[in-house]
Amino acid sequence: MELKVKTISEKETEYIEIGCHKYDENIKEIVKIIKLHHGSVDGYKEEEQYQIPISDIYYIEAVDERIFIYLKKECYESRRRLYEFEDSLGDRGFVRISKSLIVNMMKIVSIKPALNGRFVCKLKNGEDVIISRKYVSGLKEKLQEKR
Amino acid sequence: MKEYLKEMLNSFFISVTFINLAMLVLGLLLQPDRQFGYEIFIYPLIYGLIGIIPGLIVRTDKELSIPQFVIRKVFQLTLIVVLMVAFIFGGSPVNERTIAAAIGVSVSVIIIYVLVNVIGWFMDLKTAKNLMNDLKVYQSQIGETVEKELMSKVPHGH
Repeated sequence: MELKVKTISEKETEYIEIGCHKYDENIKEIVKIIKLHHGSVDGYKEEEQYQIPISDIYYIEAVDERIFIYLKKECYESRRRLYEFEDSLGDRGFVRISKSLIVNMMKIVSIKPALNGRFVCKLKNGEDVIISRKYVSGLKEKLQEKR
Repeated sequence: MKEYLKEMLNSFFISVTFINLAMLVLGLLLQPDRQFGYEIFIYPLIYGLIGIIPGLIVRTDKELSIPQFVIRKVFQLTLIVVLMVAFIFGGSPVNERTIAAAIGVSVSVIIIYVLVNVIGWFMDLKTAKNLMNDLKVYQSQIGETVEKELMSKVPHGH
């Protein structure tokens, strides 16, 4: 396998491209490693610990004082507190949208008003999460701070 | 709290506008020949204030479910109707004319309440659209660099 690294201009977005004949387990493993390098958090499922790439997280929710990390289909439990995630992932595209939920802004597909004075946020995996009115201004600020 | 005050102010000014219209319509229907002094201009503001008091009473920081929200809204509307009728007709003799006027006021209050909420919903729709526009810009700026680049390059069917 040939390995190429080229320098691109500051204006371009950095990328990693893999040229492969087949998207097999080896390639999946490489992708996983790259994603992990991009940042990861600890998650637990059936007493086993997993490294979850941050870019795979859809949202993190507190339910009855337990913290759950939701991916596209899977769900892991975390031993960290929600405010800790809010602090550590705040500059990684995550924002609090209700008292018990932090969402990855890269996973949002649409935002619509709900009848109960709140907003419904549709995610890329088809799930709906609720944005409380109280957190709308925070979301607005977060979306505009990168401009 | 800041968001809530903003919301209350919005409701107040929208209500005042509709109260002016309701006073015009009800006045023309019930007492078309009646003359008023300048003090009449203060009444829409007073009615508007009365209209927002129940909103302060039923206010909560809890995240309500849809049934809880609907119950609170119905309770809020009932309180507004009662307060408004009590303020306008309190101490007046109960006769056919007063009852007709009270019904007219109650119906107007319900219509105004619904209109204020519908307008509020359209304002939320605008907020949602603005958020979506900001979100699209944000997502295009940040980009899911690693995932996007990688996944767009892998062969189809995976």
